[in-house]
Amino acid sequence: MAELPVHTAGLRKVYGSHTALEGLDLEVRPGEVVGLLGANGAGKTTTVKILLGLVAATAGEASLFGRRVTDPQARRQVGYLPEHFRFPDWLTGAELLDYHGRLAGVPTAERRRRIPEVLERVGLAGRGNQRLRGYSKGMTQRVGLAQAVFAHPRLVLLDEPTSALDPIGRREVRDLIRDLREEGVAVLLNSHLLGEVELVCDRVAIVDHGRVVRAGRLDAMVGAGTQIRVGLDRVDERALALLGGFGEVVAVDATTVVLAAEGPDPAAAIAADLVRAGYGLQALIPVHRSLEDIFVGLVSESSG
Amino acid sequence: MSALTITRLSVKEAVSRRLLLAGALLSLAFLVLFALGFNALYSRAASEAGQTETAQVGGIMTMLGVYIVQFLVAFLALFLATGAVSSEIDSGTLHAILARPLSRRSWLGQRWLAFAGTIAVYAMLMAGLLLGIAQVIAGYGAVAPWRAMGLLVLEGMVLLSLGFLGSTLWSTLANGAVVFSLFGMAWLAGIIEFAGEMVGNDLMRNIGIAVSLLVPSDALWRGAAYYLQSPAFLAASSAVGDAGGAGPFGGSAPPSAALIGWSIAYVVLLLAMAARRFGRRDL
Ligand SMILES: Nc1ncnc2c1ncn2[C@@H]1O[C@H](COP(=O)(O)OP(=O)(O)O)[C@@H](O)[C@H]1O
Ligand SMILES: [Mg+2]
Repeated sequence: MAELPVHTAGLRKVYGSHTALEGLDLEVRPGEVVGLLGANGAGKTTTVKILLGLVAATAGEASLFGRRVTDPQARRQVGYLPEHFRFPDWLTGAELLDYHGRLAGVPTAERRRRIPEVLERVGLAGRGNQRLRGYSKGMTQRVGLAQAVFAHPRLVLLDEPTSALDPIGRREVRDLIRDLREEGVAVLLNSHLLGEVELVCDRVAIVDHGRVVRAGRLDAMVGAGTQIRVGLDRVDERALALLGGFGEVVAVDATTVVLAAEGPDPAAAIAADLVRAGYGLQALIPVHRSLEDIFVGLVSESSG
Repeated sequence: MSALTITRLSVKEAVSRRLLLAGALLSLAFLVLFALGFNALYSRAASEAGQTETAQVGGIMTMLGVYIVQFLVAFLALFLATGAVSSEIDSGTLHAILARPLSRRSWLGQRWLAFAGTIAVYAMLMAGLLLGIAQVIAGYGAVAPWRAMGLLVLEGMVLLSLGFLGSTLWSTLANGAVVFSLFGMAWLAGIIEFAGEMVGNDLMRNIGIAVSLLVPSDALWRGAAYYLQSPAFLAASSAVGDAGGAGPFGGSAPPSAALIGWSIAYVVLLLAMAARRFGRRDL
């Protein structure tokens, strides 16, 4: 357990009179891509800043690889792309990487070898000798990603990494995240973009008003939300009782029952039982809830 | 972690700033103008006046030159210090750097070291070149040029540390206003203290002393000015027994050990306060 890349328990952060985090619990395991998903102002950036020692938590525990975040050594194997990545703009791209490599303790020869490699990886091949003040927003974000992954980190914290990128750039970032996972690097991805999180994350933690309101494997979370719409020739008490055995009845009208099914997909069993009981089965449609439905449901629930 | 990475980065930053480049060119222009003016005035004095007066012209010109150098050193220190921390926070460049396994104390210390080095090199170079010019033109030799330069550098460190502390407390703009006012106040207090000596007013003397405790920059300059006098100049003013022999802008006594001790403690204390304040701040 001590080697968990990220562990927080009951993390609280109060800014003046405003509570940004209210008991946030989060875990990232080795080699896992976790999405921290939440609306603007939910507390994602604050969480990451606490993990990096940039902001002091008001209460609660936070550690990286088993070291408390107040110890600079906790950040030894961590890469970070800030939400608004800025840099000394009189440096060139290659110099920026060289400085970050130095700060992370990468030896000189290794830095020299790795700079062109990483620039290429983020789509900036041949741009290393250009001053950063001449970089576009998208290039800036790319060089920010490059410095985050430069020193072979075992954990990468990405705060809204695609906000300045076009669709192609976004796809490249997703590929990069997948590569990191293959190399066994843990990734914590902050995003308010559901699609982004849905496409690359193994697990998702949905944050709202400074706390994790739901966390779990993406497939389980989406799977657990499977609903089945059953179309019948008639809906009566007996039919409802029968369907109730497969899960919670969510909605009913004259000819349709919507069932929030539990466990493995029960469609076949439902069909068989209904027909045996003499009902005319007209439709049996599994309705997969998207992450968006879950997200919107949770967030509107807690703010309503 | 490779040592002094932040120091290198900060030196590079200081040197790559446009304004600083302009400052370096202006400094050079000042030295050239000084040499030309000094030469013209001195050769005229040599042809028209007696030996004592000529030596006096040489001494006054040199002191004037070093006085301006002192201001340049102070401005450089204040300019580098006012945004040393605050502008890094505001621009957002600090986040990615402090996310590295680097303590804030180390970042602050390394940055201070970079700027202190820049200031020291500048102060030594300017004072050295100026004294060299005076030596070549007028054969002027200061009593203790190295001690004077040491005091000038210490004055730079004092102002740098003051600006660093302010930079962890306030915005760059507010800090600039505060430290330039304090520097100006110390300068004014030096004149008040001198006037107090002249008229024998204890209140004025004490104001001067109190302010030089708060900001010892002007007191250090006066110490440096004392060591910059020529032996002849010094002998003349001490023969008269005139406490204000060096005028309101110079120094009539060597700096006390207490002043030097306090100035060093001041630098350490202010840096410790800056580190403490910066260590707790949310970024
Ligand atoms: N330095 C700060 N001072 C005061 N409030 C802050 C500060 N930083 C963030 N907040 C507030 O804390 C909440 C969480 O912010 P943040 O962590 O940036 O959210 P997110 O990254 O999810 O958009 C927001 O309501 C924000 O306004
Ligand atoms: Mg954010």
